[in-house]
Amino acid sequence: MKELHIKQLIEKIEGEAELDFTFNEGKIEDVKINFGFYRGIEEILQGKDARDALVITPRVCGICNHAHLLTAVRAIENGYENAGQKIELTSKAKDIREFTLACELIQNHIKWLYMTLLPQIESYLDCKSEENYAIKASYLASTITKALAIFAGQWPHSSYAVPGGVTCDPTYVDVMQAQSLVAECIKFFEQVVTELPLDAYLNIDLCADLHNIGGDFGKLLHLIGSSGMTEIGKSHDRFIVFGECILSKSGKSIGTKVSNVNTKYVKESEQVGTVAKAVTYKDRLYEVGPMARGMVAKRTIVKNLHKRYKDSLLTRVFARVHEVATLLAYSKNLLSNLNLEEDSCTLDMHTVLKDFEGTGVVEAARGSLIHKTKVKDGLIVNYEIITPTQWNLSHGEKDEKGIAIEAMKGSKNIEEATFIFRTFDVCSVCTTQ
Amino acid sequence: MKPRLLWLQAITCNGNTHSFLNHPDLFSILSHFEIVHHPALEGSYSMEDVIKGSVPCDVLILEGSFIEEGFLKGGVEVSKLIKTYANKAKHIISAGTCATFGGIFKQKDPDKISGFCFDLEEKTSRYDSYASKLISLPGCPMHPKWMSYVLLMIANNKVIDIDNLHRPVELYGYTVHTGCTRNEYFEWKIDTKNFGLKEGCLFYEQGCQGPYTRGSCNKILWNDVSSKTRSGTPCFGCTEPTFPQASLYTTKTNMGIPAKMPLGIPRRAYLTLTGVTKSFKIKRFTERLMDYDK
Repeated sequence: MKELHIKQLIEKIEGEAELDFTFNEGKIEDVKINFGFYRGIEEILQGKDARDALVITPRVCGICNHAHLLTAVRAIENGYENAGQKIELTSKAKDIREFTLACELIQNHIKWLYMTLLPQIESYLDCKSEENYAIKASYLASTITKALAIFAGQWPHSSYAVPGGVTCDPTYVDVMQAQSLVAECIKFFEQVVTELPLDAYLNIDLCADLHNIGGDFGKLLHLIGSSGMTEIGKSHDRFIVFGECILSKSGKSIGTKVSNVNTKYVKESEQVGTVAKAVTYKDRLYEVGPMARGMVAKRTIVKNLHKRYKDSLLTRVFARVHEVATLLAYSKNLLSNLNLEEDSCTLDMHTVLKDFEGTGVVEAARGSLIHKTKVKDGLIVNYEIITPTQWNLSHGEKDEKGIAIEAMKGSKNIEEATFIFRTFDVCSVCTTQ
Repeated sequence: MKPRLLWLQAITCNGNTHSFLNHPDLFSILSHFEIVHHPALEGSYSMEDVIKGSVPCDVLILEGSFIEEGFLKGGVEVSKLIKTYANKAKHIISAGTCATFGGIFKQKDPDKISGFCFDLEEKTSRYDSYASKLISLPGCPMHPKWMSYVLLMIANNKVIDIDNLHRPVELYGYTVHTGCTRNEYFEWKIDTKNFGLKEGCLFYEQGCQGPYTRGSCNKILWNDVSSKTRSGTPCFGCTEPTFPQASLYTTKTNMGIPAKMPLGIPRRAYLTLTGVTKSFKIKRFTERLMDYDK
């Protein structure tokens, strides 16, 4: 049978992408992923004051802007440390940063569940419900970002993290309000997302117990299971995590073997036919994101799912929604233990270093986010941003397809393939900063 | 028939889209409209239909900076799509600083990238064609309630009073300084001693542009709870045509006085007042706010 090429415009992925499918013998053999417009944030940053990155880089992305802020501040702090300026954050500043980042991840995952996955799977399986999923997404996302904004001033596009800490100086008036908003989100997760108490949900370790999950997540798992999609969407089964957070330590997992990583082996390269750059670790492709975090952290339920279904669509989808539960429990805990007596910022505002190089890493919603800044005479001479989606959407080499492409390979129809594509929680704007 | 709403994106980060999705009354506001297409919400037409140019449109929301050539969607120049729908629309809302003045992304290619009808403060060649139906909602991002105000005014057939840059005066007649919880410190010219303190004004050292930036961030709070300055972050002037300026965490000064005056205040008036306030030492402003009277 002859090769067949079909182009498809994919929308509602934080922008658009064009997928160029090559079919052979009725199956997808290759996919070229093309993104629209290169905005040049890295170039825009050149010549600017080092701290301006805290304002400019969040504008890479409307949905994970807060992760960019925190990566940018870590890059500066790392640079200060490298230049001999000790940075010691108080546990208060650390906890507040952890909290606001957790809020952003929850917001992201919930929007993906309700505005991408549920509507898309229903339309693919031709079982469209009359549900207004977007209202659920908007309710939970606006509630949790309200909790974020109590500390960070606003979402999107806060710049409240500065070298040495945070700019806010909360009182218990703020903490109590944030606690009640988190409690509201937990209630929503229990009553609407899973129909299980949070503790009971978090105690699910075995695949056999997944049927206990009800609510909208239960519905999604049921749709995936009953349509035979549990085995599709497998990729190279290699995972990597660079950030250290509640969800995972840093490390890489090949199959199930976990070992250490170092950002110095991360390499970015130009790709033909797209404005998105490819990323590799020691010249190999790795998947980043919730499934990677679950595998590197050896989270029991993710590992058990992986044992049975490998790195399939099911494991990938499950790992992302599962993070919502972990993060909600973590957020609640952070707030109840917040020590307001400590300083918010330990570095004097007049201590501004002029020459340094630093790297910042954060686990953003879609995986590891890396910023590298090089500063001379107070001004940025070079800034590099490596986003999670670049890892997952690299085209790959001749002998090895990119992560998402490998996952789509072998599929017999475009609708299924684009659904697999969306399980990566693709972000167009992050890929082409 | 409900007005048909099309949300179209050019060079953007989607920040305005996500800002608006946070609106607590999102769906009651949208119930006044038929969404024909939106970057995240379901609409009655696909992006491919939008690209064909055949989608009906009464209210056009533009997000992102404008470039005439070189940004294509589905093989069609986005600039052409924008003009097609701008011609059809009865109302054009430029959502955010990028769509309004050019914003951050303008800095990549300042000669070619701009807002749709303004390039910084200057009118573009497109201005005359669309001025009669243009509403500007600058802000990086724009506040969700600024957008809902405009949409509800349109839905209720009310005329929106605007200034020379087409910004609704009921939203942008204020400065970001209005309603800031640090106003007492501003009045008495007390600067903050560091980041992370609720005491002190951010205007004197930390680069706060609130006193001369138009916007109601401290009147209509962000996410209904806070604002940059309330959480100790300086205002970066993100609603202004000049956004982003350089060295955002530092106040530019002349002989120790902020180089840029609060909106509409003559330098002489400011200096006179400063001289008076600085001649007093107010005990309450020299200590932690909550330690006073303990």
